[in-house]
Amino acid sequence: MTRRLLGSLIGVVAVVLLAVVGNLSAGNEIALGLDLQGGVSVTQEPVGEYNSESLDVAVERIRERVDALGVSEPEIIRQGDAVVVNLPGVDNQDEAIRLVQVTGAVLLRPVVSASPISPGAGVPETEAPATGSTPETTAAPGPSRSIPGATTPDTAPDTTPEATSETLATDSASPSDAEPVDSVADTADDSVPPTGSDLPPASEFADVAAQPISSDPNDPTASVIVQNIDGTEIYQLGPAFATGEVFNSDATADIIQGGWGVRVTLKRGSGGEDLWNIGASQCFSGTGSCPTRRMAIVLDGVVQSAPTVNQPSFSGGVDITGNFKESEAKDLARVLKSGALPVRLEVQAVQTVSPTLGEDSLRATLVAGLIGIALVLLFMILYYRTLAIVVVGGLVVSGGILWNVITFLSASSGLALSLAGAAGIIVSVGITIDSYVVFFEKLKDEVKAGRTLRNSAERGFKSTWRTIVAADTVSLLAAFTLWYLTVGSVRGFAFFLGLATLTDLVVAWFFTRPAMMLLARSGRVGRRGAFGIKVAPGGAS
Amino acid sequence: MTTGNRSSLGRLFHGETAVDFYGRRRRGFTVSLVLLVLSVVSLFARGLDLGLDFEGGVAWQVPATASMDADIARDVLRENGLDPANAKIQKLSNASEETIRVQVADQPADVVDAVQKSLAEAASVSSEDVSVTSVSSSWGRAITEKAIRALVIFLVLVTIYISWRFEWRMAVAAIAAMAHDVVISVGVYSVLQFEVTPATVVAFLTILGYSLYDTIVVFDKVQDNVKSFSGTRMPIADIVNVSTNQVLMRSINTSVSSLLPVLSLLILGSGVFGAVTLREFAIALLVGMLTGAYSSLIVATPLVALLKQRETKYASLVGPHSTGDTLRAMVVSGLPTGVRATRRAEATDGGPSSGGSDTATAVLTHPPRPRKKRRR
Repeated sequence: MTRRLLGSLIGVVAVVLLAVVGNLSAGNEIALGLDLQGGVSVTQEPVGEYNSESLDVAVERIRERVDALGVSEPEIIRQGDAVVVNLPGVDNQDEAIRLVQVTGAVLLRPVVSASPISPGAGVPETEAPATGSTPETTAAPGPSRSIPGATTPDTAPDTTPEATSETLATDSASPSDAEPVDSVADTADDSVPPTGSDLPPASEFADVAAQPISSDPNDPTASVIVQNIDGTEIYQLGPAFATGEVFNSDATADIIQGGWGVRVTLKRGSGGEDLWNIGASQCFSGTGSCPTRRMAIVLDGVVQSAPTVNQPSFSGGVDITGNFKESEAKDLARVLKSGALPVRLEVQAVQTVSPTLGEDSLRATLVAGLIGIALVLLFMILYYRTLAIVVVGGLVVSGGILWNVITFLSASSGLALSLAGAAGIIVSVGITIDSYVVFFEKLKDEVKAGRTLRNSAERGFKSTWRTIVAADTVSLLAAFTLWYLTVGSVRGFAFFLGLATLTDLVVAWFFTRPAMMLLARSGRVGRRGAFGIKVAPGGAS
Repeated sequence: MTTGNRSSLGRLFHGETAVDFYGRRRRGFTVSLVLLVLSVVSLFARGLDLGLDFEGGVAWQVPATASMDADIARDVLRENGLDPANAKIQKLSNASEETIRVQVADQPADVVDAVQKSLAEAASVSSEDVSVTSVSSSWGRAITEKAIRALVIFLVLVTIYISWRFEWRMAVAAIAAMAHDVVISVGVYSVLQFEVTPATVVAFLTILGYSLYDTIVVFDKVQDNVKSFSGTRMPIADIVNVSTNQVLMRSINTSVSSLLPVLSLLILGSGVFGAVTLREFAIALLVGMLTGAYSSLIVATPLVALLKQRETKYASLVGPHSTGDTLRAMVVSGLPTGVRATRRAEATDGGPSSGGSDTATAVLTHPPRPRKKRRR
């Protein structure tokens, strides 16, 4: 029994020490929240109609943009539908707002030219509009499997089995084998291919080469130079002829003709099918605006896929096939869904915290907190005398646990200690101390009832443990509910309250219990009348 | 061990108090009721000063340089087409610097930028030194709604938990005590017209958690005693009084330990170092913790006794309860006595029981149960 207690005591101290050493040697530090460090916090909320994919995609884009900016310890938090972006160290508010305004909108642009990026070069050859380098598309006759009208409800009446007229393109001239070769095919069985007769004049796409190249990759009216998603190809793209909103938000990744592909249906009417077909017919014909016959699906200045268009017009739906991996097909489907109903994020709150203000608050909280804890310890020592050793030890151990968890989470998942959180920890000192007070008062009762200290410690802890668990459960309930359901500083507070309460339980069981019982057995506390009352002799073993 | 000749502080320290919490419940309830009524009246009459985060708006904070004061800030607002009469302009000072805070209702982004630049010019600082906080009013409403929803769900969960771990009567009493604490804390904010910020909400939630925590520690003791006295014919009032006195020292110690850091935050953090966030936080906590400790002893526990008196087991035992030294004897020993039980039968028609020292000694003649032989 003694050995087990000693084991627990040494174990918990050793684990905490090891973790401290580990965290220190890994160079982990507690990340400070915005209110302590200074910076900009922008809260956005979606307005109007959107789907969950577009919000996901938008948040991912924000994360990539922020990461690309190199802000240290950025925090991007989804709180319900709201997106909070905390950018410590950034003091330019306008820049921050521009950075986080992402829609998840998809642009469809004709590819004027494409060239591979050689892995070694790094610098893309922007001056390569030569059509020679663009992949040639060869028509490979392959019978497309008839799709049982799932994606094309509008063409259900005229199901003619002449689907073989449609071809699936394979790209034989691809410079790199790893590169996915995409192509677009109509899923519908087009019995009457509508050849550009009803198309409006597409004069706006002419003279692409003459178009000035915009530095803003999201400008839909200008030509742009952008890369694809895995950085293997660079494209010169013409002005967008449509947005992803031509599609219904039903894009799915599916096995299409033996490989992973994406199937999506087109909206009907002038805003959907017609608009798409204008671009498709131009790309299919390979005229001036779209010499490569490829059409790029662009999200936030990155080409997600640039399939070759294999037919002049589409009705009902579109298949995108190529050497997709399953994950790539699913990603593309998600992007298309997002583009079909892009989210409009509206800035709800902007807070700029000047770092000096933060620094002052930090020092004030730290100093006040430490003095407060010192006062509590002084009170404990005056009141419980020798027993206060256990309180001091316990507080050091819980402080160590908290520090370890916070530094680890700071380093691994971008947790930041905010002012509310710091204050929450200091306040939770009260709850931690209470565990000891409950225990010691119980101990006093037991000793007064004439029991030996050793016996009292065991009985006292048993009943104290039940009390602590009951009371801490309520705190944990509060912490979890608040953390799950609220936003902002309340959430930060809830997290640290929960963390401190869990620590309290761990320390009570693994540190206070063995420490107190060993102390009671050693008999040193008992003889000196530890609580100002006489202890029955025989407490020592 | 003697019990008669200690000072009241000494008795407290030795856990030998005999405060008749149950008998004096009406006094406690009256005090609480007065405070509650004051809070509610103030809430209706004066309302709460809701901060930027709840009502929405824009606030600029600019260093108070030689060329910058509240009047100049007003001029800047006027230049930008905002009515200074609707603006809240405050001078904030902390240890290292003074700042001027200008707050107006929700504004479009270009106005916000323009005012920021003008303020920076007027104060002759770079515009980066002017910190801006803006919250749209819909967002403010949304976070308030979320917080309230979270609160309601938490209360339901906590009621279920206490009913399961203890009993529903204790759940009712605990929630009532908690509501009491929160209403009074909110009332203090309303009476003093402190601004309610997210930090204040955090503080109110801490109070709520703290109040429940404290009440549960007391209830745990009550439940313990209900069990250990279950074989006797002790009235619930006695059980409650014994329990409250037994945890009195713990409640005081815990309150002191919890209040010391808060006082430190309040006096040192905001007073000496001038962190305003801390001041609001600390005041709310101070009030909440005091009422929390008060309500678990004075409100929640007598309430449980009143509720439990309707149980059949205790309904027949309603009558005069022990006070004075009799109570003290039970508090100290934690045991009911056979002497007491017989005395009870005699005392039923003899008016309020007069606990004598003979009873106390009688209690103390019972030595603790001899220890069983244990293996070492």
